[in-house]
Amino acid sequence: MKAQHGIRKKARLALWCAVCFCLAVPVVFPVMYAFLGSFRTAGEFSRLPPALFPDSFLNFDSYVQVFTRVPMARYFLNSLGTTALVCAVKICLSILAAYAFAFFEFRLKDLLFVVILGTMMLPADTLIITNYRTVSRMGLTNTWLGVAIVSFAGASQMFMLRQAFVQAPRALRDAAFMDGCGDMRFLWRILVPVCRPVVITLLMQAFVAQWNAYLWPLMVTDSDAMRTVQVGITMLTGAEDANYQVVLAGACAAMVPPVVLFITVRNRLTASMTRGAVSD
Amino acid sequence: MFAGDAGMQTVTAKKDNGKTSMARAGRLIKPYLFILPILVFAAGFVYYPFFKTFLYSFSTVNVMGEITSFTGLDNYRYLFSRREFGTAVSNTLRLTAMNVPLTMFFTLLLGRLLKEKRFLGGLFETMIAATMAVSMGSAALTFRVMLNPTVGWINSALGLGVRWYEDRNTALYGILLLTVWMGIGFNFLLFLAAFRNVDRDVTDQARLDGAGPVRVFLSVELPLVSPTLLYAVCTNTILALMTSGPIMILTRGGPSWSTTTLIYLMYTTGYGSGNYAMAACVAAVTFLLTLAFTLAGLWADGKRGDAR
Repeated sequence: MKAQHGIRKKARLALWCAVCFCLAVPVVFPVMYAFLGSFRTAGEFSRLPPALFPDSFLNFDSYVQVFTRVPMARYFLNSLGTTALVCAVKICLSILAAYAFAFFEFRLKDLLFVVILGTMMLPADTLIITNYRTVSRMGLTNTWLGVAIVSFAGASQMFMLRQAFVQAPRALRDAAFMDGCGDMRFLWRILVPVCRPVVITLLMQAFVAQWNAYLWPLMVTDSDAMRTVQVGITMLTGAEDANYQVVLAGACAAMVPPVVLFITVRNRLTASMTRGAVSD
Repeated sequence: MFAGDAGMQTVTAKKDNGKTSMARAGRLIKPYLFILPILVFAAGFVYYPFFKTFLYSFSTVNVMGEITSFTGLDNYRYLFSRREFGTAVSNTLRLTAMNVPLTMFFTLLLGRLLKEKRFLGGLFETMIAATMAVSMGSAALTFRVMLNPTVGWINSALGLGVRWYEDRNTALYGILLLTVWMGIGFNFLLFLAAFRNVDRDVTDQARLDGAGPVRVFLSVELPLVSPTLLYAVCTNTILALMTSGPIMILTRGGPSWSTTTLIYLMYTTGYGSGNYAMAACVAAVTFLLTLAFTLAGLWADGKRGDAR
């Protein structure tokens, strides 16, 4: 009886594993396909029927081409620069505003809170044409600042930080002020370090979102030296040949920073995402 | 910058015994100085373009982007008479109507399946969740090769003769496949967390009362994760209405307008042809669509709250 129960349990586990496997593989398949394809050669791509695995995993030719055919190293630098700029400014501005909403009482508090959160109701994609006009009039096309500036106001980041600040122990602030701390010292030296998990999570989210941005960076840059990685990899297809293997290598190279970052901080990200969803 | 000054001000003000009118004024405006920087960017790059877009849509605008005259609803009348606008609306709505249910069904299923932490569960979890960090650019390029009718692996492996992005009858489904795939990682994580938050006692009790696993899922677990479901439906609807990147990379709106969506139309008329007024009309229509869906979501949320 007991043995039978054990066998049934094992069979159910095996069935569960099989079902999950069948569902998970198609989800991951495109990523694996890009990875495997990036090691194939142009010759292998012209062979029929199309194969999945490369003849050799030591063929890094496509990756070399990604960096020589277009100035990909420069694109990586541009992506890193704009992403760092957005992360830094967005989080700093959110921290400042969140502090005011968490600790001060003032007349327009509710109104301003709604005004800032209201930006989440206006999808950025519908605003790009007018923003392009603004940014070009400011003379910021083809600059890192031009790419970054439209993403500086982070309403959801501000909201999350305010929640975290409100939950921080009240006594912390009283003690700090007793010791002669001002608002700025308390905020940056005590409060932000205490809320570090939230700040790091928000930084990661901002990083992945900005690194993967496409439409706006495409619009606001037209010089070859100022393109970002996401825009750059779409230019790997040659005029006369499709370069499938180089395109896939480019896609893989562009995936590396966000995916690595994501896997390292996944648990933290999951936890904060749940909180966000519940509070919405 | 400003906020820093404000902080310094209060520190010095406190030294002067904090009772001078300077200090009081400082304390009064201090909160606003903290909020000012984010407000400046919210105003300049969200609210200003928003109002400007509506203003443009009621005006004649030259190629420099200067308003030359007020025309009322003429732009809209012209836009509604254009065939490509109707096509774009229909494509966008079709894409959204297919994308949201498909994504919800698939990610709910995945989230529920991987709820219990079991052997290999963590591995599946990471594999699926990590796809959310893959950029739209990388994904679109991969799908272009993968679904290529001659060199792509999918057609030959599944024995299909579909021409995907090259055929006007299938291109939209190719885009659908890509956009659904891009949404899986994020929504899966949402639902996974939601299912894990469901109290075990509740499901165990339902089991003891004789309910089968399907019944437990439909009548106990699904209602309990419905706040997350509602949130996911709303965010995904808005994202789907904004579909444009994959179209720019894969099909450029074609073949023969079959994948032209609203935002893509806005981009090509505004940035491509310099017709700012028309682009503003398209943006305004798209915005009103998203607003309608957002309000519907809030209304549904309110109803759910009343029912409880």
